[in-house]
Amino acid sequence: MSLGTLILSLADNKQLLGLRYAEWAIRAPSLEADIAAAAMGLDDLGHSRVLYGCLEPLGERGHLGRESDPADYLNLPYLDQPWTSWDQFVAANAVLDTAFTVMIQACVEGNVGVLRSRLRKMLSEERYHFLHGRSWFRAGIGEQPLEEAWRQALEWFGPSDGEVAELHRQGALAMGPAELRAELEGRLGTQAPDLEIDWSAWDPRRRRSRPGQIDARTFDMLRGLEERRYHPSGAGGTSPG
Amino acid sequence: MSGAGFNRVHGRAREYEVFARKARIEPLRLVGSVVAPDDDLAAAYARATYDEERWIEMAIVPREAMVTLWAPGEEGE
Repeated sequence: MSLGTLILSLADNKQLLGLRYAEWAIRAPSLEADIAAAAMGLDDLGHSRVLYGCLEPLGERGHLGRESDPADYLNLPYLDQPWTSWDQFVAANAVLDTAFTVMIQACVEGNVGVLRSRLRKMLSEERYHFLHGRSWFRAGIGEQPLEEAWRQALEWFGPSDGEVAELHRQGALAMGPAELRAELEGRLGTQAPDLEIDWSAWDPRRRRSRPGQIDARTFDMLRGLEERRYHPSGAGGTSPG
Repeated sequence: MSGAGFNRVHGRAREYEVFARKARIEPLRLVGSVVAPDDDLAAAYARATYDEERWIEMAIVPREAMVTLWAPGEEGE
């Protein structure tokens, strides 16, 4: 894995996180939360576009031509399927979104120019995602989605002797896995649950242990196929039901 | 409606007034309100709801922190 692949993973996760947030724009517990879900979704989709734009300068081409296999996306299992509960939203908002922000901070404070300059603005926008997530998190959510979010955040940071640790030693990242975890715990004001992670099953490219992929409808949307269903010419598609 | 009357998800939710301005020479003006249980969530809601314009400053104030001198229908002294 390279720094470019890590940024591709960050971009894919931001894109899927933005889409999952947006799915709750009319399902959240209050009107304000609806609007916040929509706004955070737009933010993260915008962030993903900036991150994809960093790939070429980093020599990464893994995002090109991903038209046939949804498993080519480097997203976490948490984002494979639409969330079915608000607790899942909150756990992702508090833990995963903040984990991604901590990694962005490590990039901004690292020694790679394109990341230092282009990612900085995200940190100010992410402040409001953090306030939103932490407030709902403190109000209390179910243990299962929270533990799952923590597990996947720690897996995404990677093992202590993995590539993120090496990128930290090289100076490209200002934090390695241990520092990223400590920063995440510090921001949320809590310790990660005591989790056993089997690194032998971990995929270093997708940064996840569990196999799987995004759902078919989301994959179609990413490829523009869902939109074609609504186009007058149809392009062979069906009418919206 | 008073802040105490809100019960939007959190039982202790309260109303916050949102103020903003576009230039230093302008005073802060009321642009709307949000309902939230704490300052953090109110800040996130205010930013999400009212950030469509290019404000140079935005602030929130709990409605209950405002001291009313007189209200509609009452005479000022």
